[in-house]
Amino acid sequence: MPRPSLAELAGVFLKVGNTTFGGGPPTMAALEREFVERYQWLSAEEYGLSYALARLTPGTNVMAFCAATGWQILGWAGALAGTLSTTVPSAVLAVLITVGYESWRTNPWALAAINGTVAAVAGMMLATVFVLVKPYTAGLRGAGLMRTVRAIVLSGSAFVLLYRFKLSPLKIIGLLAVVGLLWHDPVENARPAVADVAAKEPAPQ
Amino acid sequence: MNILVLYLVLLKAVLTSFSGMASLPMVRNDLVVTRHVLTDRQLATAIVAGRTGPGPNGLYLVSIGYFIDGYPGAIAGLIALLTPAFLVIPLMHWIGAYATIPRIRGAIRAVVLGSAGLLMAASVPMARDAATAPILTAIVVVSFFTLAFTRAQTWWVMGAAAAVGVITKLFS
Repeated sequence: MPRPSLAELAGVFLKVGNTTFGGGPPTMAALEREFVERYQWLSAEEYGLSYALARLTPGTNVMAFCAATGWQILGWAGALAGTLSTTVPSAVLAVLITVGYESWRTNPWALAAINGTVAAVAGMMLATVFVLVKPYTAGLRGAGLMRTVRAIVLSGSAFVLLYRFKLSPLKIIGLLAVVGLLWHDPVENARPAVADVAAKEPAPQ
Repeated sequence: MNILVLYLVLLKAVLTSFSGMASLPMVRNDLVVTRHVLTDRQLATAIVAGRTGPGPNGLYLVSIGYFIDGYPGAIAGLIALLTPAFLVIPLMHWIGAYATIPRIRGAIRAVVLGSAGLLMAASVPMARDAATAPILTAIVVVSFFTLAFTRAQTWWVMGAAAAVGVITKLFS
């Protein structure tokens, strides 16, 4: 495998991470094209492993993915370059947009636009719930029914525990991790390889 | 709010989630409900700011940090977003082998599903606050269906919603 300089690696992360809209999945797809197909700094298997383990890492999966691929290519310096190059320019832009929103709030026309976008955010959050749960359902017949019931019970109980009983989200997460250890999806027994997660897991956000 | 406390609160939210927006219920619980240093309105604005530009969805934490403590807060939000990413490296070293164990996968999937439920619990009050007029309720519903069932980019949906807001104001 050819090895790039740190500047070359940071340049790819900078270009892809700050020009790709839509969150993690498009960014990771674009990085696959660069790292695996174009520059061949990573094999498809290494890419798949980074993708799968990024799914298992707490936090924003695409950040873990950048750390993992950067580390595979150039060690700790690569991991740092990957995460910083991907986020710092976008973070500066996010702050500028926030400042803009705050200063426009006294303008009635801007306020009307903000009201519209805030409503769209609420719809987007509900859509995110749907997108997160859907890959863990498998219809209402046969073996799939149990999988669907499991998904609805786990997500529904978290909703009720927070919304109705005001339990701390940290406690709910801990409780669900224990429940998941004891009540795992039997379909998963058929999947032997870590890299399979790359193909089967729902797309990281 | 002390900058270190802000970082730790945001870090806790990121560490206990498995996707960009899944940290939102914890953030809302700690900063809006418990500590009262952020409003739901500011939270929604931060989400818009984080989603409008390129980059990961978790960037809304940077905007939240800015709302609470200006530029130092934004930096605290960025560092909180980045810190857990490096946990993947020890994972690649040692834990990769255990990821094939069904019980471990089961626990991770349960946490992801739980995150969805928590996100729902955070979304409901925000949707209620946002839908203060019939047209805004319609925007909530249409954006839900558009983003749940099509491949439309979030940016376009936000832009269309802003345009509908302005057009509604024009004719009111």
